[in-house]
Amino acid sequence: MKQYIVKRAGYSLLSLLLLSLTIFLFIRLTGDPTALLTEPGASNADIAAIQHKFGLDRPIWVQYGLFMFNLVRGDLGDSFYYQTPVLELYQARLPNSLLLGVVAMAFSLVLGIPTGILAAIRVGRFWDSAGKLFALLGLSLPSFLVGLLLILFFSVYLQWLPSSGSGTFWHLLMPAFALGWYFAAAHMRLTRSSMLEVLGSEYVKLARLKGLPEAIVIGKHAFKNALIPVLTLAGINLIQMINVAIVVETVFAWPGIGRLLYEGVTFRDFPVVQGVVLLGGTMIVVVNLLIDIIYAMVDPRIRMEQ
Amino acid sequence: MCASIRPSGAFRPQDRSGRTRRWVILALPLLILAWRAPAAASATPAGTLIIGVHVSLAPNWFDPAETLGIITPYMVLYALHDAMIKPMPAGNLTPGLAETWSVSADGRTFDFVLRKGTKFHNGEPVTAEDVKFSFDRYHGAGHTLMKERVASVDIPAPGTIRFHLTEPWPDFLTYYSNATGAGWIVPKRYVETVGEENFKKAPIGAGSYKFVSFTPGVELVVEAFDGFWRKQPAVKRIVFKVIPDEATRLVALKRGEIDIAYSIRGELANEVQNSPGLTLKPTVGSAPYWVYFPDQWDPKSPWHDKRVRLAVKYALDYDAINQALTLGFSHITGSVMPENFDFYKPVPKPVHDKQKARALLAEAGYPEGFDAGFYTCDAAYANLGEAVINSLGEVGIRAKLRPLERVAFFKGYSQKKYKDLIQGASGAFGNVATRMESFVVAGGTYAYGSHKEIDALFPLQAREMDIGKRTELLHRMQDILDREAMYVSVWQLAFISAVGPRVGESGIGLIKGFVYAAPYEDLTLKGG
Repeated sequence: MKQYIVKRAGYSLLSLLLLSLTIFLFIRLTGDPTALLTEPGASNADIAAIQHKFGLDRPIWVQYGLFMFNLVRGDLGDSFYYQTPVLELYQARLPNSLLLGVVAMAFSLVLGIPTGILAAIRVGRFWDSAGKLFALLGLSLPSFLVGLLLILFFSVYLQWLPSSGSGTFWHLLMPAFALGWYFAAAHMRLTRSSMLEVLGSEYVKLARLKGLPEAIVIGKHAFKNALIPVLTLAGINLIQMINVAIVVETVFAWPGIGRLLYEGVTFRDFPVVQGVVLLGGTMIVVVNLLIDIIYAMVDPRIRMEQ
Repeated sequence: MCASIRPSGAFRPQDRSGRTRRWVILALPLLILAWRAPAAASATPAGTLIIGVHVSLAPNWFDPAETLGIITPYMVLYALHDAMIKPMPAGNLTPGLAETWSVSADGRTFDFVLRKGTKFHNGEPVTAEDVKFSFDRYHGAGHTLMKERVASVDIPAPGTIRFHLTEPWPDFLTYYSNATGAGWIVPKRYVETVGEENFKKAPIGAGSYKFVSFTPGVELVVEAFDGFWRKQPAVKRIVFKVIPDEATRLVALKRGEIDIAYSIRGELANEVQNSPGLTLKPTVGSAPYWVYFPDQWDPKSPWHDKRVRLAVKYALDYDAINQALTLGFSHITGSVMPENFDFYKPVPKPVHDKQKARALLAEAGYPEGFDAGFYTCDAAYANLGEAVINSLGEVGIRAKLRPLERVAFFKGYSQKKYKDLIQGASGAFGNVATRMESFVVAGGTYAYGSHKEIDALFPLQAREMDIGKRTELLHRMQDILDREAMYVSVWQLAFISAVGPRVGESGIGLIKGFVYAAPYEDLTLKGG
């Protein structure tokens, strides 16, 4: 078991190392940030001064080396745009993203799981088709469109909800719905397929043969087992909601991490993009590692196969 | 940012006899406009005005020492801080904390006299030490040039600051007033007490509004400063609310959640025009766009023939392009110099005449037109490039669009790497002389060649301390530039904002060339 954990932890570290290199190189392909910190036609001296200030005049491998050196010390660097430590910016936005992510997740589970169960137990019938349509719409409608439609309906026509910003419960509703909509569809699909698999299993058949009421069979025996992969996915999705709700946070001017990433990309703020991606990546890698370890503890076959 | 020197006789050189006589600046009309008994005629500030801002506000914008070479930070500087001289509705060089200034006969010394009774938000008076301190700590855009040209700063008497230049520099005031943030004053004692970083977290300035709170990515709140010297602000609080999405900004404006929405373009601007109670506020900044002919000095190139360059000038459908891309709000000036720059000389507005363009091409030996090669431009404005190429295609000048990322584009432009056609632009600070230096005169960063007459006139104006004579020289240079069709101007780009029904005076467009609301003390709410 110890060997398994060490091996998985090694893979995780390697993943993060590759992620750091990838994001470091790819963000630099977007162009030179000095373009956005000067007016067109600015003097070469001003451009050179900015490049020097941000260390962009150094060879790229030196820049990467410094980045990694600082990273090991827990320093993600200072934002080019905000001139503030990236970690500070991230921490300031994290509560907003957590709030939005948790509410959106709750919404997605409340909507996704029951519709998934309904579609599975009524497979091939109306509710299944309706569920499939819901999943199709959820997964194919871009969140910016959902967001703008919500604003149009609830803010412009009905005048019920504020169009953007944060601070009250009412500000939270539309972005949470827009964000949770996509994930509700994903959770619905997984719940449906997982339920179908479980409903076809021997122990469910046995439960039915024993004459247990259908509600007990579904609720107690099938649902509990079908829920495991859904919750696993929900855990990963929650991290995504927190870190990469870029479009929703931008459309609703929600001051979260997704918008910080959007600003980082918009202003070619390399340290911000690197920091946000790495922190988000770290969360995903750590959660995956924990899941792997838990699986291995629960099911010895997994660690034996390794 | 709008920038430039005001050719109004606002300062004059010391006479050549070398006596200590100084031509004290008597910018009387400006002073009469500017000098009012503080708050005497104004009511108590009331109400809150909310501005929907299109970009995130950055803390370094709160510190003039870090002013970047872009216009956006001035949105905040105008609220929190005050400058010795700054662009105001009365003109580009309006006295601020400096009541008067003078320049020595040899053009090497500038003296500023501080306005009496001015104070910072913490109640401390603005002193000459603060002015020197602010200049010394400045490290924003253009600081290298400022530090190279300014030998020293001293305080000959309380309330007087003297700048010693390394050589005569007629554009000193342009740079000191607005082409850099060096002339925006911060309190020395406070900065030294709290430190540089804490200053950005709780800035204190001498502007009409004082800092209340800042939430990164969310909003900045400022409150009227009752000790501001110019006038008592009418609005109690101003909130700069960050709403990055354009459509959401417009919805917020329609719902009355905000009072001013910056940067509303295209169809959304049309929507504003059709919404009762909302008003479009287009303003034209300091960024002209043009077509440049880098091969015009090569006798083998078609562009060597002035008639071909003029054909381009007549080929462009200026009004259609303007209407399609900026609802007709950009200015078709015909000049590559911003119309709000000092020493600007208007030239005849260009006319769209395809027949004339074709005739000129035929005269030049290209009756069927020709393949013009690449049309290289900043990718951010490729839409303008497409429209220009379409116009050129209609008269037979066939060009291929080559959009490049901005820094790469300007790097290649300055390294003289391009051929055929370049779509250039500049929003850089300065005045006509500084723009000429970069784009027109021999050796200029972006000049692929030059004209002998212009080259001969340029050093004359650079030494000329007499504003009238200097203006005349710079006007002659602009005439030659237009006559020779070295450039074809496309437009001076408009920035479109929208204003809600609660706003009395939005401030947008009050300062020529400045696209945001300012001065903030002039803003009003209806019924306020």
